[in-house]
Amino acid sequence: MTVFRYDGGFEGFLCAVGDCLEAGEKQPEFVRDGDVYSSGLFAGDIHEVTTVRETALMLRKRFVNAVSQEAFATARYAFHSQKAGIELLVWRYLTLGLQVGRRVCLMLTEEPVHSVNLIARHVSHEAHKYKGFVRFREVETGFLYARIEPEADILAFIAPHFVGRVGDRRWMIHDLQRNQAALYDLKSWRLVKNIELTAEPTLSATEHDYAALWQRYFQRHAIAERHNPKLQQKHVPLRYRKHLPEFEPDNDSL
Amino acid sequence: MITLPLEQRLEILADSAKYDVSCSSSGSSRAGKAGTVGSTASSGICHTWTADGRCISLLKILLTNACIYDCAYCLNRRSNDISRAAFTSDEVADLTMNFYRRNYIEGLFLSTGVIRSANYTMEQLIAVARRLREVERFNGYIHLKLVPGADPLLIAQAGRYADRVSINIELPSRQSLALLAPDKPRESVINPMRQVSGLIVEAKEARTKSRRAPRFAPAGQSTQLIVGATPESDRDIITLTEGLYSKLELKRVYYSAYIPGSNDSRLPALPTPPLLREHRLYQADWLLRFYGFSAHELLDEARPNLDMRFDPKSDWALRHLELFPVEVNRVEYEVLLRVPGIGVRSAQRIVQARRGTRLGEVELKKLGVVLKRAKYFLTAGGRYLGGIRLDGPHLMERMLAPTRRPARLDQLELFAVMPDASALTGEL
Ligand code: SF4
Repeated sequence: MTVFRYDGGFEGFLCAVGDCLEAGEKQPEFVRDGDVYSSGLFAGDIHEVTTVRETALMLRKRFVNAVSQEAFATARYAFHSQKAGIELLVWRYLTLGLQVGRRVCLMLTEEPVHSVNLIARHVSHEAHKYKGFVRFREVETGFLYARIEPEADILAFIAPHFVGRVGDRRWMIHDLQRNQAALYDLKSWRLVKNIELTAEPTLSATEHDYAALWQRYFQRHAIAERHNPKLQQKHVPLRYRKHLPEFEPDNDSL
Repeated sequence: MITLPLEQRLEILADSAKYDVSCSSSGSSRAGKAGTVGSTASSGICHTWTADGRCISLLKILLTNACIYDCAYCLNRRSNDISRAAFTSDEVADLTMNFYRRNYIEGLFLSTGVIRSANYTMEQLIAVARRLREVERFNGYIHLKLVPGADPLLIAQAGRYADRVSINIELPSRQSLALLAPDKPRESVINPMRQVSGLIVEAKEARTKSRRAPRFAPAGQSTQLIVGATPESDRDIITLTEGLYSKLELKRVYYSAYIPGSNDSRLPALPTPPLLREHRLYQADWLLRFYGFSAHELLDEARPNLDMRFDPKSDWALRHLELFPVEVNRVEYEVLLRVPGIGVRSAQRIVQARRGTRLGEVELKKLGVVLKRAKYFLTAGGRYLGGIRLDGPHLMERMLAPTRRPARLDQLELFAVMPDASALTGEL
């Protein structure tokens, strides 16, 4: 048994899978850099994975040719759930795909396909929700800043959407859970890791006004005769509300 | 009217717009362009949900709630004593851009009361849309209301700027319209719909020949019907809907439960809005659009109204027990869609998965198929999933058995207020 230690990113993981295939390892284990690895006595060899973009791309090509673009996307979504043990599951999915090819898509009720599909759906659903739930605030310099705390690591799935949408301003979507952010500089976006804000951003002069207008609009828009807070909560669970200005209690200070 | 502060006018003009139930931002797919703001997503995106559980996708406001007409069912009718307000087109553009940049919304849904004349009013709406597109370079979603009786030239112009246009029929029959909205003859609503339908087809054809051909309302047109203000049956409504989908190719028909708000003797005094009926109509509408049903299968002369106890698909199946059970491993996709409790997504998964494996109860559950109702109508590998075979009355009783939650709440939670995305996944 070999332990593959990789950088925690998806590219790195693909490289780990590549190394694993090359070594003919049938029972790999995956750990991320920085994870405390303490299997102690029974620990196998540790293999340090080097992330090389070309290697990752090659593996992707191999899998897409063998199975499909869609199945690869499924694996990618599932990986970003960052659930415990997800690497092993996705590794099994990828190797199965390379073995049986397109038939993977018909094995919906079998493992690991069933679990991977389920997790991938969950992540893609969360990413879709966040396309609606990201809230930018305008910082003094015209920069737009948003905070999110998603369950899965969804930045890579939503950033391209916002590039197409708010293409005329610099912006940052900050994942507080993971201390990382998607940063857009008017040309393209990139992922920045290990960030920490040293101070609260200074908001632009009109930011409060628009947030308050939005909140008024939001409150006025509900129809009293149809009042149904349970349904509302089903769609906007409490954990999302922290970063939604329309749910902030004290915005009404016009 | 413009003298009130902006925030008060926003409240008034959002208040007046909220009874238009359409919230969808779907049906248009346009990538962002460099230097511009905005894109559209074909499945639509909800940005938040209000306390009544409805999705907010667009900034839905009126340009003004002043109106020269006096439609009995409408809050903005001339004779109603409410505060009146108006926005300037600059204000609407500014709100739209600033809300949009902050990702509060997918775009703008602009409607209005009628001021001076139909044409003048239509011109005001177009001016806002033009300004957003040409000055602000706004590339997000715009839904424009068409003003009944507006000149065809103006309607043609509106569709150049808007993703979607709509004109509300409001009342399902000519008689009701004449009674409650005497200023709006049915033709003033139906003719623009016809015109739009033709222009949409033309523009689509032109665009297959040249990518440079101008778009016309690429997200199609929709309309709204008020339910419960007038005596029409569900059959009248659903038959009208079917015609709108098949003959005028509408993208959506919305139903709005009548909310009593006037002492007008021409209107019924309802204790509460008929929300369950509205919900059943949405379900029937879904069956027309995605499940291959036609109106006459659901309702006929002998049964002019939907059963409030069951969803219309269960109701249909209970009246056609001779067709069931069907074998889940073999039966055609179209028939699967007719099994109560099986939605489009489940049916698709079943068809895909059974090419690889033989499906039993365990596999169906793994696919996420909800068997609560479906099991009475299915066999898997020859085995009937419903336990003992039940005759019609017993089966009906079983399906009506109380669930954990009170039935009404259950149904309202299913209420279709999602954007069109859910139309593809909405399980019936
Ligand atoms: S024309 Fe429109 S806004 Fe005016 S009263 Fe009739 S429905 Fe209301």
